Amino acid sequence: MSIVLALVSLLFLSIIPLLIIFCCLVPIIGAAKSLRRWSRSMKGLSVLLIFIIIFNTLLSTQPNPFSHSIALTLRLVALMTSFSIFFLTVHPDELSQSLIQMRVRFEFAFAMSMAMRYVPTLGQEAYAIMDAQKARGVELDKGNLLKRIRNIVPIIVPLIIVSIRRALSIAESMESRGFGASAHRTYMTVLKFRKRDWAVVIISFLVLVLVVYVRLFMSLPTWMLWELPI
Amino acid sequence: MPLIEFIDFSFKYLGADSLALRKVNLNISDGEYVVITGPSGCGKTTLCRAINGLVPQFHRGYIAGNVTVDGKNTRAHNVADFAPIAGLVFQQPENQLVTLNVEREIAFGPENLGVEPTEIRRRVDELIDMLDLEHLREKHPHEMSGGEQQRVAIAATLALKPKVLVADEPTSNLDPQSAETILDLIADLNRRDLTVVLVEHRLDLVSKDASRVVLMDQGCIVADGEPRDVLSMDICQEIGVGIPKATQLYKRLKQRGFNLDKVPLTGAELAILVQEAKQR
Amino acid sequence: MILLEDVHFAYDGLYTALRGVSLQIDECERIAIVGSNGAGKTTLVKHLNGLLRPDQGRVILDGVDTKHFSVAELAREIGLVMQNPDHQLFLDSVEREVLFSLENLGYSKEESKARCNRTLNNLGLEGLSERSPFTLSGGERKRVALASVLATEPRILSLDEPTIGQDARQKENLAKMLGELNEKGKAVIVVTHDIEFVIENFPRTIAMANGRIIADGPTNSVLSNDDVLERCSLTRPQLTETARCLHKVFPEVTERLTLIDDLEAVVVKVLGGG
Repeated sequence: MSIVLALVSLLFLSIIPLLIIFCCLVPIIGAAKSLRRWSRSMKGLSVLLIFIIIFNTLLSTQPNPFSHSIALTLRLVALMTSFSIFFLTVHPDELSQSLIQMRVRFEFAFAMSMAMRYVPTLGQEAYAIMDAQKARGVELDKGNLLKRIRNIVPIIVPLIIVSIRRALSIAESMESRGFGASAHRTYMTVLKFRKRDWAVVIISFLVLVLVVYVRLFMSLPTWMLWELPI
Repeated sequence: MPLIEFIDFSFKYLGADSLALRKVNLNISDGEYVVITGPSGCGKTTLCRAINGLVPQFHRGYIAGNVTVDGKNTRAHNVADFAPIAGLVFQQPENQLVTLNVEREIAFGPENLGVEPTEIRRRVDELIDMLDLEHLREKHPHEMSGGEQQRVAIAATLALKPKVLVADEPTSNLDPQSAETILDLIADLNRRDLTVVLVEHRLDLVSKDASRVVLMDQGCIVADGEPRDVLSMDICQEIGVGIPKATQLYKRLKQRGFNLDKVPLTGAELAILVQEAKQR
Repeated sequence: MILLEDVHFAYDGLYTALRGVSLQIDECERIAIVGSNGAGKTTLVKHLNGLLRPDQGRVILDGVDTKHFSVAELAREIGLVMQNPDHQLFLDSVEREVLFSLENLGYSKEESKARCNRTLNNLGLEGLSERSPFTLSGGERKRVALASVLATEPRILSLDEPTIGQDARQKENLAKMLGELNEKGKAVIVVTHDIEFVIENFPRTIAMANGRIIADGPTNSVLSNDDVLERCSLTRPQLTETARCLHKVFPEVTERLTLIDDLEAVVVKVLGGG
C-alpha cells in the first residue's frame, strides 16, 4: 500500500491533486497512531522544504515558479510520508520475521534485528567514550578541521574495541542457547496473511490502476489544474 | 555417575602466556549448589565455559584431559548439544538480551533447537509466571533495570530446560538489593532440584545456601568441601578471597582462645553461637 | 575547595537528574557517594569536572565559577576515572596511554615522561609499560586507566564504581592507594554500591535518591539508617547486621558497630575475657 501511495504521488505535479493525496495520508498515519513521530520528522524536514521552495522559485523556468515549487514540495512530503508509513507501522521484529518467511536466511534477518536492538546501546557507549576522553583533556569541539579529524581517533578506536568485545560476549550467549544449531529453526509467532491483508493489497492495486489510467488517458478538469498566480 | 566431571582437565587460550586451568579434577552431582570462588585470574570463568563446551569449541586453545557433562564429552559435541543440559548466565545482562522483548527472548533458545511452537509458547508463559516477569512482557531490554534484565536472562536460559544452571558472576554489575534478589532466585531454583554452579565473590550472600564451596587459585582447585570447612581455612585469606565477616570474627575469636561450636556464615548464626558459648 | 550550590540538571531538558543539590568538598576528604541507579550519582560527579553544566545553580572551584573553564582546563585539577577502562584506552602501549593524558594538558615532554614513570611505578605497572593495553587483563586495564588520570596529579580525584570486578586483594590495594593519595592532600570521591568498601575506607558518605541528597555525614551514621539503605537499594552491611543480631541476645552490644576490630572487642568482653 505504501508503494502504491508513493507511485501515485509521483504521478501528479499540480497542487490540488497532491493536497488530496496528502489528506488521504494523514488519517492513515493517525490510524497507525504515529502522528506525533511523523510530525516531529516533518518539523525536522521543514528547513529543507523551505530551502527547496525558495531556490526552486528563483531558478525555475516554469510559468508560475512559486506554484510549481509548492507542488514539488507537496510531492516530496507525500512521497516521504508514504514510505514512512511503512517504517512507522511495521515493528522491526515483524520485518525480520517476514524476511525469514520470504526465505531469507535467518542469520541475516537476525543480524538486522540485532543491529536495531543494539543501536541505542552503541549510542550510549559512544557518549560514554566521549565523556571519558573529554575528562582526559581531549577537546572535541576545538581546533581546525585537521585537528578535529585527528580527535576522532580516541573516540573511534575504543568504540570499535568495545563493540568487538560486546559482540564476542553476545555470541557466547547466543551459542550457549543453541543459535545456529540447526538450519530448521521453529518460530513461536508466525506471520499470517489474512483476508484483511489481501483486501488491502487488492484495493491498493485497483487504485493504482485507476489513477494511472486517469493520468495517462484522461485530462483532468480545470479546477484540478489550478495554480497559484505566481 | 556425576552430572559434570572434570578429569585432569587443562586448558590454555590461544595466544596466552600460561595455562588457564591446570589438571582440574572436579565432580558435580545432581542437585548440588556449588559456589566457585577465587582471586582474579584463577580460572573460574574458564571453568564455567568448559561446562557447556564454549571451551574448547568457541574459545580455541590447547587442551588436555576431558570434561564430561551428562555423559557427553565436550571435545566431541557442539556447544548447541549442551544447550539443553547446561544453561549459562553471564555477567553482563545487556549482552544476553538479544531481542526486542521478553517473550521473544525466552523463546529464542527453544526456537534455535526446533522445539514445537505450541510448546515454546507454553514454556514462555510458564517462565514469565515463575519468574514474575508479567509486567515486563512487552518491554525493550533498554527500558529495564539491571536486576530485571538478569531475571529475563535467567528465564531465557531456563527455557531450554537445562539440568544445571551455570552462572558466572551474575550479580557483579547489580546494586546490592537486586543482587540479593537474583541470588535468592537462584537458591530457590536449586531447592526445586536444579543443579547450580555459581561463581561469586559475595560469599556472605551465597555460602548459607550452597552445599559446597570450591576455591581456585592460578588454574588449580585448592580447596573443595562444605562451606563451613572451606571458608574457615587460612588459605582463603592467603590467596585474597573475601570470606563472610561472621566467619572472620569466628577466626579472630579462635585466635584469642574463644572457641565457638560451629563455623558461622551469617551474623545471625554468630549471635546464637556466642550465646551458646557464654552459657557454657 | 569545591562547592555545588543548588544545582539542577536535566538531560535533554527532559529527564531531571539533579534537583537542587548542594554540597562542599574540602581538601583531604575521602567521600563515598551511594544511591540506586538513576539517583544522580554519576551526574553529580560529572558536574565536578565540567562534563555537565548545571541548568540552574553553580559549581564553584576555589571561589571561581567553573563555567569560566573548559573541561580540559578543569581536568588539570579534577580527575575522573570512569567505570569502564575500555572507554579510554586506544593507544598501543601503556606508556603512550599515560603520556597522552599528560600531553593533552600541556605538560612538556620531559615533565610528562617523569610523571609517567612515577605513576606507573606507584601502581605497579612499570613492567607493563611497553605492553598494549588490549592484551592486559580487566584488572590491569583498570589500573592503566587510573594511571592515566593520576599522572596529571589532580587535586580532586573521582572514581566511578572502581571496585566492580575486583577481588578482595585488588580492593585492598586500591584502598591503600587512595589512602596514600589522600595523605598527600588530595580529595578522593568514590561512587559505588560496595558498602563494605565504603565502611572500611571512607569517613564521609553522601546518599542520593531521585536527584537529591538524602544524607550527608559520617559513614557510620548514614549507613546505619535503614531508610537511607532502602532508598539507595543497599543492603545492611554485614557487621551492622551481625551487631544487630548480637544486640538482640546481648543488649549491652550497641547496634551501630561497623568495624570488625570493635565488634571483636565487644564479643570478647561479652564472653568474659579481655
